[in-house]
Amino acid sequence: MSVFLECKKIKRTGFIPTFLSGGLLAAAIPVLNMAVRSENYVGLSDTPLQILLDANWQMMAMLNVLLIVAGACLMYHTEYADNAIQKMRTLPLKESQMFFGKVILLSAMFVVVLVIEATSLAFCSFHWFEVYNDFWLETGKTLGYSLLLTLPSVILSMLISSACKNMWVSLGIGVVCVFTATMVPVKNFILSIFPFAMPFQIFGGTDAERTLQFIYVALIEIVVIGIAELLFIKVRRSFE
Amino acid sequence: MSFLSLVGVELKKIKRSKIMLILLTATIILWLPSIFNADMNFGMQAEGISPENNFLIQGFLGMAWFMFPASMVVGTVLLSQTERSNNGIFKMLALPINTAKLCMAKFVVLLTLAASQILMTVGIYFISAAIVTQIQSYDFILSPLFVLKEAGLIYLFSIPMIAFFWVLSICIRTPIFSIGAGLAFIVPSVLMINTKIWFAYPMCYPFYVITSEYGKLATNLSTAQIDLIPWLPIAVVVVIICLAVSCFRFGQAERR
Amino acid sequence: MNIIETNNLTKTYADFTAVSGINLHIPKGTVYGFLGPNGAGKSTTMKMFLGLTQPTNGSFTIDGKKYPQNRVDILKEIGSFIEAPAFYGNLSGEENLEIVRKILGLPKSSVTEALELVGLTQHKKRLAKKYSLGMKQRLGLASALIGRPPILMLDEPTNGLDPVGIHEIRTLIRSLPEKFDCTVLVSSHLLSEIELMADNIGILNHGHLIFEGMLDILKQNIAAQGYPTDNLEDTFLALIDADNKQRGVVR
Repeated sequence: MSVFLECKKIKRTGFIPTFLSGGLLAAAIPVLNMAVRSENYVGLSDTPLQILLDANWQMMAMLNVLLIVAGACLMYHTEYADNAIQKMRTLPLKESQMFFGKVILLSAMFVVVLVIEATSLAFCSFHWFEVYNDFWLETGKTLGYSLLLTLPSVILSMLISSACKNMWVSLGIGVVCVFTATMVPVKNFILSIFPFAMPFQIFGGTDAERTLQFIYVALIEIVVIGIAELLFIKVRRSFE
Repeated sequence: MSFLSLVGVELKKIKRSKIMLILLTATIILWLPSIFNADMNFGMQAEGISPENNFLIQGFLGMAWFMFPASMVVGTVLLSQTERSNNGIFKMLALPINTAKLCMAKFVVLLTLAASQILMTVGIYFISAAIVTQIQSYDFILSPLFVLKEAGLIYLFSIPMIAFFWVLSICIRTPIFSIGAGLAFIVPSVLMINTKIWFAYPMCYPFYVITSEYGKLATNLSTAQIDLIPWLPIAVVVVIICLAVSCFRFGQAERR
Repeated sequence: MNIIETNNLTKTYADFTAVSGINLHIPKGTVYGFLGPNGAGKSTTMKMFLGLTQPTNGSFTIDGKKYPQNRVDILKEIGSFIEAPAFYGNLSGEENLEIVRKILGLPKSSVTEALELVGLTQHKKRLAKKYSLGMKQRLGLASALIGRPPILMLDEPTNGLDPVGIHEIRTLIRSLPEKFDCTVLVSSHLLSEIELMADNIGILNHGHLIFEGMLDILKQNIAAQGYPTDNLEDTFLALIDADNKQRGVVR
């Protein structure tokens, strides 16, 4: 129910168009890259999807994370801008419900973005490479993995935005986090478990044990950040 | 009211906004990996760049590519939201001030934020260079004049970019659009610096200038050098157009 | 029977005391006027009732429920309107109420009813950020009245309204206990206004409760002390002035 309410609240804020255009922009990267210099990639020995991801995922993931940070900022900005959050607090509703409603909505929008990107990857594979049997299975696995590894950054950026009344503070912190993530080497496991760095991981080309570790870490982070938000709401309530 | 005192007023408005703290955090995070990976500076024989130069340039590259432009997007959000959140803009528009002047004063504040972040970067550079000098027993500290020259180059080259972000934040009233557009414009600059038409893309100027400085310092690298033509005229035109449009559009929506 | 009772309720901020050990008794089914100059602690008290701010000391019960154990249960019974209007600027008046309605789980008709009560029906499609001050105030009231809650807390509800609107809202508040069978806690800094609405009053000054009871009793009291009673504003000013002098406060 709270997800439905959150959908109502983002009306006329430009939230959905931003995600759609962000998805299209990210989707354009592999297409443009292939259109301009397909000769660099066609001959490589990996599967087409793997080649495409290796060549483009860093930029696509960066756009995705930036999109998530901006979306999270906006969702709490509508709460704080005209003091609506005060009204919400005087209603018989838990603040945490609102938070998780927002997280679910943002994740759902991110799924839409991923689907747009998958379409573009599929187009590139079919257009420039040979079609092969396992393509859809591989794409499904890859995107599922990306989704799971991105969820910690979704929930963390939502935590940051819920904590800051001013949008520039949450955006600033988000941007600093994204920047930190871009400096993390993808191959370094310990540093890569920083929530904002995880979306840069690719399913293929990573050995099975590592992928499993990443999946566990993602799940743990989601739970830990969720609990942190619950505690935060409690603490803030007692200080106001 | 003189322009300078107007700038003073605008600076006062962003008091307690925590923006300096954000900018400082960003710069500290910028240099941390450089300190930890300092030994990598000794393995740059292929590029032919000295360790101390490499230390400086790698940090500046990180700054010019994403951190600095993104901080400026945050700065524009700060400036537009402080006015809008409690309708302060109405009060300002009701005072006998020329709106174009007001708009320019705000732009100067944004430039001040940019300058302070660059100076912070320089400051933290010297601290981290001193630390690395101790750890590696090798003198990493470069002459302040040289460092300031490089920092100054980034700053000058970033003015068209900042003007562009500024006009974005004024013309696009929906906050998420201006933020989204600003951030999305930064990402492709890594592609644009490798093309022949880099000068058509203001967001990549600071990154481009520091890349070309890298090329100058690394004897074995042949990165493109900067030709003033056609870059300079284009940059000037970009700044003029952006500022003209922003002054024209500033406060217009509120006065409809 | 008292629906709201406080016991030594206190709120202290770093350098000053906003509310200092007050004991309120608000009878069920009445309009209780909460009176005091600006900064007397009226809003702070109401915010504590709503859990928007934590009491530093003391406690209160609302309809037999204790805070903070029964926070959500308490909120289910209260319709509130606090200080500055709180709303989503990107949504229309109707959509704002729609959100409140959903959270409270009320029938669809309650939105129309609330809009009708405060006279916003013809503006319901307009965006809330484009509302005039008076309309924002009415929207706030509508979001408090929606669903006929058994307790209403209204913080200076007539602020920013025109004389006709003030009269309208006062009449509405006066009629609420009878119409909806509810208790109203309404604050104001005008004794003349409170007199028109309230059955009981509590007067706050600098966080202290200096009087609580029926209005007639207040009048008798102050007449006995030799204060003017023909003009209510003078009465109020004299009362506050005397209290200030007694506390040695310099304004």
